[in-house]
Amino acid sequence: MSSETISGPILTSDGIPLKVSLKKAERINKIRAFLLVLPLLAFILITFIIPIGDMLSRSVDDRYINTVFPKTFEVYKKWDKKGLPSEEVFKTMFLEIGEAKGFKIGKASTRMNYSKSGWKSLIKKSQRKFKKIKEGPYKDKMIAVDKRWGDPIYWKALGEMVDPTTFGYYLNAVDLKYDSNKEIIAQPENRRIYIHTWIKTFKVSLLVTIFTLMLGYPIAYLLATLPLKYSNLLMICVLLPFWTSLLVRTVAWMIILQQKGVFNNLMVMAGLIADENRWKLMYNETGTIIVMTQILLPFMVLPLYSVMKTISPSYMKAALNLGASPLHAFWKVYMPNSIPGISAGGLLVFIIAIGYFITPELVGGKDGQMIGNWIAYHLKTTLNWGLCAALGSVLLAVMLVFYWLYNKIIGVENIKLG
Amino acid sequence: MRKTIKAAFLGLISMAFVGSATADITFVSWGGAYTASQQKAYIDTWSKGSGVTVENYNGGLGEIKAQVEANNVTWDVVDVLPDQAITGCDEGLFLKVDQSHFIDDMVVKPVSECISPQIFWSYVAFYDPAAFPGKKPKTIKDFFDVKKFPGKRGIHTWANALIEMALVADGVKPKNVYKEMSSEGGIDRAFAKLDTIKDHVVFWSAGSKPLELVSSGEVVMSLAYNGRIGAAILQDGKKFNYIWDGQVLEQEYLVVIKGTKNEAEAREFVKHASTAESLALQAKYIPYGPMRSSSIDIIKKGEPYFNTGVDVLPHMPNTPKRLRRSVIADPFWWADNGAEVSERFGVWKGN
Repeated sequence: MSSETISGPILTSDGIPLKVSLKKAERINKIRAFLLVLPLLAFILITFIIPIGDMLSRSVDDRYINTVFPKTFEVYKKWDKKGLPSEEVFKTMFLEIGEAKGFKIGKASTRMNYSKSGWKSLIKKSQRKFKKIKEGPYKDKMIAVDKRWGDPIYWKALGEMVDPTTFGYYLNAVDLKYDSNKEIIAQPENRRIYIHTWIKTFKVSLLVTIFTLMLGYPIAYLLATLPLKYSNLLMICVLLPFWTSLLVRTVAWMIILQQKGVFNNLMVMAGLIADENRWKLMYNETGTIIVMTQILLPFMVLPLYSVMKTISPSYMKAALNLGASPLHAFWKVYMPNSIPGISAGGLLVFIIAIGYFITPELVGGKDGQMIGNWIAYHLKTTLNWGLCAALGSVLLAVMLVFYWLYNKIIGVENIKLG
Repeated sequence: MRKTIKAAFLGLISMAFVGSATADITFVSWGGAYTASQQKAYIDTWSKGSGVTVENYNGGLGEIKAQVEANNVTWDVVDVLPDQAITGCDEGLFLKVDQSHFIDDMVVKPVSECISPQIFWSYVAFYDPAAFPGKKPKTIKDFFDVKKFPGKRGIHTWANALIEMALVADGVKPKNVYKEMSSEGGIDRAFAKLDTIKDHVVFWSAGSKPLELVSSGEVVMSLAYNGRIGAAILQDGKKFNYIWDGQVLEQEYLVVIKGTKNEAEAREFVKHASTAESLALQAKYIPYGPMRSSSIDIIKKGEPYFNTGVDVLPHMPNTPKRLRRSVIADPFWWADNGAEVSERFGVWKGN
């Protein structure tokens, strides 16, 4: 190379500037790295981000009904909500019911039925009979077809649907609703089910978390400290139920705990309770808590165990050597060291418990049902997926709040699964 | 783009629901002895029966809606309840079918243009006679009378049929029940009647549970699906007594899912499954009542008709005599008011 080129950029042997070449190599590395994480990214996108996004959008989406009755809602907005709407509203409603093709009306009536029970059959009946009406005035003729058209309650119920987005489902999820002027009011008392269920869900989940901790902590301690030949056996005892079908375990509890079940029979035989005062341990909230505690116990024991395994026994020995009482040594030395395990186990159990649904369905009976049971009901039976999405979103939001609180108080970096 | 993503996502969900598709048609029903009877009566007797794959589900339209919305339909024929039949047909989840070959032979009018008839089944009260050595309960009123017949009652965890039964027990004539339910205060009246047994009930949600509850003495009487009681009596030799009074008749239909890739075969299958002969044959294996009048005639002539060589008609819910004291569940009423009453029932249970 001649001396003139030294002042120019440094070149690689094939004459490309070194900077460019380096950049290229780095880019290839970056692409390679990106390609390596791509499956994971796609997995997260498909299984988390899109479903959650879809859920959030469904929970406020009210566009469909607005594509079926756009003109009706336009004139409806001018109505003063006193008495019955004007002839014009009746007329556009009539025309749009006639114009709607295929399944549009059926779907729309399902939506309308969420805000006032009865819309579904009213629309169905009307759709058939309206064909005979050839000209106005429509108001009286529609009322003649079904007198519900003359009932302002039905008309007022439309008020919450006139916008393409709605918070109605969220209100519904916390026992509130819109009135015809889109003011927020409480649900009638005999339909206020969700707040009650939310509280129950949190109460049950919290209790289950506490009970699993109380039961799981000593087990995990034994697992971590016993000699291998005993701890292996104990580990199998923990894992065996973990591998057993959820349904089998739930049904086994039914047999044990019901009023004429094994437990009550033994208690009566032992003379501890009278035959007519058998304990109600099944088909109620108590049953739900007992069974869920047993089912979720491994989720507490395993993280606890894996953390306790890393706590050196010499810490406790040192504390005892230095004169601490066993209780004091445990409280000041062992317990703080096991907090990451408690956090991980607690959060894991709580998160699983809060969305539980099969066990409460089977053993919950009259008052042991949780929010998951209502989500399942609306998902399958009423097809009110908007409400499902709202309930699910609230659940998600509450979880995030709990997580945030937890982070504030204990710190996320303290979670350890092993 | 959004649509595609949504479709892809829903497709994924529906895949998760059903596993994989098959070449011929997939028939989805409730499982257990019921599906077994359908297998014998409809699938085994169909010339193309070997191509039918049977799957189980737990009712509801959730999975079907997901499949249709994602345009990835893997269920071809599904066994549904009337309110699903109505909602699904309204929402365009099912195909309309040719009803000309059975329409004049039905015990009750079909609820939608999408259905092919199947069976009647019934919520009915029953007890173990050993629990009542003296006087035995005979009416639904007795079921709701804890003074005359003390002891616990088993009832299901949802509101359907309970409202109707409570009203019949309160003195409403079976044929007027839905009029009462639609009238002001009708539902209040039903709940007031339910209040009278509230402290004496044990809830069940799985169909096999009430039989266990009664057998173990956990309850003295219970509501149950009549087919389950019948099977326990006919096949397992249990000694149960029905209370044929105020029972609530439900219907079961076959529908073809919109967007099925095997439409012609699916249509052919539901047609085959809803002939009078097929419906009658099913009663050989499970004591549910066929929906076609002529099927009942076939059974009547064939008694003792059940596969174990005993009479099956005494276990059927829709004999003319029993229909007089039956409420035929009105799916239209429930399609309208189901959500509202269910929420109220939830409040009632929880408090």
